[in-house]
Amino acid sequence: MTTARIKPARVLHIATIAAAGIVFFLPLWWIFISAMRPEDDIFRYLNPIGWETFLPTRWTFDHFVALFQSTFGRSIFNSLFVAVATVAGGLIVCTLAAFALAVIEFPGRNIVFTLMIVSFLIPFDAIALPLYYVMRGAELQNTYLGLILPGVGNGLAVFLLRQFFLGLPKELREAAMVDGMGWFQVFWRIYLPLTGPAMISAGLIMFIFQWQAYLWPLLIAPATEYKVAAVSIAQFNSAYGIAFGPIMAGAMCISLIPMLILVFFQPYFTNSVASTGSKE
Amino acid sequence: MSKSKNVLVALAFLAPAILAVSILRIWPALVAVHESLLAPRATTYSLDNYIYIFTDPIFQSSVVTTLFFSIVVNPLQIAVALGLAILLNNKLPGTGFWRTLILLPVAIPASVSAVVWAAALRPDGLANAMLAVFGIGPQPFLTSPQQALACIILVTSWIGVGYWMTILLAGLQDIPKSLYEAARIDGMNRGQQFRFVTLPQLRRPLTFVLVADTVANFLVFAPVQILTRGGPQRSTNLIMHEIYTRAFATGDKSSAYAATVVLILLMLTVVAIQFRMMGDQGDKA
Repeated sequence: MTTARIKPARVLHIATIAAAGIVFFLPLWWIFISAMRPEDDIFRYLNPIGWETFLPTRWTFDHFVALFQSTFGRSIFNSLFVAVATVAGGLIVCTLAAFALAVIEFPGRNIVFTLMIVSFLIPFDAIALPLYYVMRGAELQNTYLGLILPGVGNGLAVFLLRQFFLGLPKELREAAMVDGMGWFQVFWRIYLPLTGPAMISAGLIMFIFQWQAYLWPLLIAPATEYKVAAVSIAQFNSAYGIAFGPIMAGAMCISLIPMLILVFFQPYFTNSVASTGSKE
Repeated sequence: MSKSKNVLVALAFLAPAILAVSILRIWPALVAVHESLLAPRATTYSLDNYIYIFTDPIFQSSVVTTLFFSIVVNPLQIAVALGLAILLNNKLPGTGFWRTLILLPVAIPASVSAVVWAAALRPDGLANAMLAVFGIGPQPFLTSPQQALACIILVTSWIGVGYWMTILLAGLQDIPKSLYEAARIDGMNRGQQFRFVTLPQLRRPLTFVLVADTVANFLVFAPVQILTRGGPQRSTNLIMHEIYTRAFATGDKSSAYAATVVLILLMLTVVAIQFRMMGDQGDKA
């Protein structure tokens, strides 16, 4: 590509895209710099806006120190543990179900598929209230199990994995069965080793779902011992007065983990999101 | 190998998922229906709870607010997402980087976004500072009954637009280039190409996004609870917050259950449409 081909229209196009990107990123940038400057400086340089608004003049990590001397470290651990356990449990449940719904032919398969996907697709928060009373009755309030269970059945994950299995050639299964393999061996030795990319996509969806959960953990796990980070940070105001430094530091910690995952696994995430809406 | 034997095998594979659906979705839904039909201290079924909530001005205003919010926020988010998708549908240098920046807020918990926007929307916060650059005086934002819902719309859109954009961008990339070439040969300008090629070809992803976005926005909770607690003057009291308040602040479980059933029925309708569209694709694949 030569410089002669850079036309004003293209420059304008790139500038527009860049402006949109910056507008979306600006609040995140503001979190990061506010987390690393003294409390007094967070609102000091906002009026009028200058370069100091977006670049700290004095740096500090005191907010992070204060944060992790509180119970916040525990909350981050809870969030991580719950999200990872959800992905592990969810992948087992969803992969098995998707295999049955894609590969095994049995009467009533379409009805089971429809029912399962529709009931999984009802966004979980809609039934949070009755489920809360059911789970509290089962003494699952303030337990990891209570936090994890609702995340393991993910309709989108079943759908994605089923789509993937449907794309594998039928001959794989038929040849294996001629060789005398049973269904479970076919699943374990033939299909599962091929499923890596689809499982990464499904796992990502479940991780981000659980990492973002707010209403459910607020109800089922209010005790400090089991509180997740997304709930902790919303209660900082009352715990610290209004100390924006620790709030921003906490926001940064909670945001960085999914952001890094998204950046590293973006092709998987994009593919899974895209395939729900448009891929045919 | 007989089909009836397959049923048993399939059941074994499906057992954990069936168990999960039954305990985590169907059972609570049935509990909600059962409890919603029992008026406080009543022993027989009646529609009293439903009559109560639908004649209650607070619940009525919450439904109206939710519907108004939906009518504004869904077209707005989809229009912005489509605009961004069209801008990003090219091979210009750096596009991938900017697309990632737009997508990042999707990954962050809504509660974190809400907490940060609470700081940004303070009278002396970042939002007013940005407005000052354009010569606009300070706005009350969250403390104003006229502006608070607009703030909720801003925050939920900042969170969600990147997600819908990703789906629409994938749809745009699936449109065969030859259709645009044919359109150019027919002498269509950019606007006509958009109307007669892009929009019809995007019908499926656009419908999907409309439905999925509608469902998501019916359930907005964290931004409301954290930023405004439904106020000021109930101007941001969306239905999820109303249900939550009824159950846990007022302790009125019966009417909270009735409101939940109304919400579930609404969801079921919308999700059934969503599933039909996803199912169509499953058959083609």
